[in-house]
Amino acid sequence: MPKLSSIFYYGVHPSELRSIIQWKVWHNPVHERDESKECETLKQCFFYLDMTSRSFAAVIKELHPELLVPVCLFYLVLRALDTIEDDMTIPLEKKEPLLREFDTVLEKDGWTFTENGPNEKDRELCVHFDVVIEEFKKIKPAYKAIIKDITKKMGNGMADYVNNAEHNIHSVNTIKDYELYCHYVAGLVGEGCTRLFVEAGLANPALLQKPELMESMGQFLQQVNIMRDIKEDFDDKRRFYPKEIWSKHVDKFEDLFKPENQQAALNCTSEMILISLQRADECLYYLAGIKEQSVFNFCAIPQAMAIATMEECFRNPNVYKTNVKISKGQACQLMVDSTQNLQMVCDTFRKYARKISKKNNPKDPNFLNISIACGKIEQFIESIFPTQKSKGGAKLISAEQEAKEKAEAGEARQDTIYMGLAVFLTLFVITGFMVTIAWFAGARFDIAFGQIRNTLFGSGFAGNDLPTNENLKNALTPEHGEL
Amino acid sequence: MEKVLVTGGTGFLGSAIVKALLETKKYDVTALDINPPSLGTASYLDVNYVRASVLDVGSIRKAIEAARPSVVIHTVGVYHTDGRRYGKAGREELFGINVIGTKNVLEAAREFGVKGFVYTSSWAVVMDDLDYDHPNMDEASPVGHASLLYGQSKAAAEEIVLSANTPQFRTCALRPAVIIGPGDPATIPTIHSCIRKGETPFIIGSGHNLTDFVYISNIADAHILAVSNLLTTGSAAGEAFFITNGEPLSFRDFCVAVWAEFGHVPWLEIRIPESLAWGLGWAAECVTWFTGQPATLSRGAVKDACLSRYANIDKARRVLGYEPKVGLAEGTKLACQEYKNRISHKR
Repeated sequence: MPKLSSIFYYGVHPSELRSIIQWKVWHNPVHERDESKECETLKQCFFYLDMTSRSFAAVIKELHPELLVPVCLFYLVLRALDTIEDDMTIPLEKKEPLLREFDTVLEKDGWTFTENGPNEKDRELCVHFDVVIEEFKKIKPAYKAIIKDITKKMGNGMADYVNNAEHNIHSVNTIKDYELYCHYVAGLVGEGCTRLFVEAGLANPALLQKPELMESMGQFLQQVNIMRDIKEDFDDKRRFYPKEIWSKHVDKFEDLFKPENQQAALNCTSEMILISLQRADECLYYLAGIKEQSVFNFCAIPQAMAIATMEECFRNPNVYKTNVKISKGQACQLMVDSTQNLQMVCDTFRKYARKISKKNNPKDPNFLNISIACGKIEQFIESIFPTQKSKGGAKLISAEQEAKEKAEAGEARQDTIYMGLAVFLTLFVITGFMVTIAWFAGARFDIAFGQIRNTLFGSGFAGNDLPTNENLKNALTPEHGEL
Repeated sequence: MEKVLVTGGTGFLGSAIVKALLETKKYDVTALDINPPSLGTASYLDVNYVRASVLDVGSIRKAIEAARPSVVIHTVGVYHTDGRRYGKAGREELFGINVIGTKNVLEAAREFGVKGFVYTSSWAVVMDDLDYDHPNMDEASPVGHASLLYGQSKAAAEEIVLSANTPQFRTCALRPAVIIGPGDPATIPTIHSCIRKGETPFIIGSGHNLTDFVYISNIADAHILAVSNLLTTGSAAGEAFFITNGEPLSFRDFCVAVWAEFGHVPWLEIRIPESLAWGLGWAAECVTWFTGQPATLSRGAVKDACLSRYANIDKARRVLGYEPKVGLAEGTKLACQEYKNRISHKR
């Protein structure tokens, strides 16, 4: 049963309601997973995928059959790694080697991990990790190598970060530190996915020659998540905002949450948003390299959600109070639009860039830079989908074309004449009816005409255009049943 | 040391170029101008200042013959910022200085064995065509459709310069966007004057249209790069380049940022649809026609405010190795700071 508040919300946002219906009714997955052919362990893997992922499960399950299982396993492996990293109940001496050697775990039949704290939400996945290992054995060696390589890099990166965090309160000091952290947890996912796509022949191999693009794909998503989750992370005693940024706006990190510092906190969010917004054009560039629809959807949906979330959080003080989310209707609209083609995704990006630009506040120290970042997105979109080039060149037209245009113009003129006649006739008929009805109802046209005649021709002398006394009296005396 | 002569060398752009040339310590500089260095601007002991008008062929020839430069940078040009920008009056002056003046300097340079000629053109050669948006224009965008006299005069001069290019006499043209910076005589002052006139709340059109700027030291750098290119590889010879800060942004946002630098934030926003503004502009023009009093608003000004115009600077990056060193946000701050000082001194 929908909540009363949401009934009200969609009552005043019918277009969002339409998007929800559109998505639920008309969306056909590009590929559907065939459960009947799956063995028990694979079914289990998908069960854990649904359990651990809110946003990614749906797009993964619609992936091209070639990549369906590898990407699902890749996700589960990284999720398990993340669960171990996040768990503050595991002592560092135990956690660090585990993270660093997690890639070797993938070769250990029947390996499971039961030492997560009871509150870790994805604990079950680690407890039953043997099903992932079982399925991992069956995929193509090329995919295995990619997944192992990324797991190793990410495990090492996380271990470095955890080590640092243990000994230092401000583990993320500079913007560089922040981007490095995002590289380990997200940039590497971008790299892994891209290598899988290219290996499967579903993306342009040139993407591997431009590593900054896949890096941006990951960074963009991760940075938006960090910005959105600031309150939740703060409550769990995690901080990802680089000191280099927040210290410009407040003295102590916790001051960001105080109501009296609201403007400073908003400016801090703006600066965080600015850093990620500067990568938006590279994300669009990356999407241009995807050759297959299901892979495109897989990549584009999260990006579109990210820029919309960014817009929702921009200059929104609630970011420091709750977890700000885009509405379900908006999410469905974004999914409808990002499962078509690159141009639609570009339109979405431009739309949100303009919304951000509109909310931008001149008192914000990054006002101009945010405006420039929005302009950069528009310029990039213009470079791949030019609006008609300055029609200046078309001024030189052929004689044939000119004749055609002349004929068209002639026709248009005739149309205008007929239209004008029709309008005039209609007006005439209507006026006639009105006058007749008025006359039947007892209007005294004789007086009106008399007055007009008097006013215009009553006398040739100047200054006599006021109604004469007699006329006035006539007009004011209700001799006839006038209303 | 190669010798370089800069025409308009005491002007806003010319003096910045002179400064940048001196900083490289590779060039011997002569600055030619109709005016001596104006009060408050920097002048340099190492620079040879010559006073001459580009319309006076004799004195131009004499100056170039005396200086014997390897390269001439020709920055002299005039433009109108007021209502005359959209009219047909002032044609003589624009074409005289911008076209005949350029021809005079070019011919004198060729005569006295100058090796390279860098011409300061303008992005107006393309974008002064007020009938169309020019998003992301580049050097392939057609020239010669400008509807305004200024763009027409710059295009004519650019054509003369580029067609004079030969292996012995290399020429190139730079097309800067609107230049801002300390000493800016037009842009920041014009935007600033909207505060006094109470025009800041009005947004004409969508407010989303993008425009481009270039910071003064960046455009000066581009000239230095062009000089060294013509003297070495010559890959820029016969070519035109758009030079901007590579940071297109909403024109409205730029104005708002400038006002904010002067402590002014519009207290409300009134959106005027472009068609209505166009009508008002037309009405204002009628009033102007009757009374002879120039008005801020005109159909041309409305279009200037609503069109999207910005350039792609990949070619300058690729061929000249141009990279804007001062970002627009910083550049805007510097420009506004200087203007703040300028007006406080006046008072």
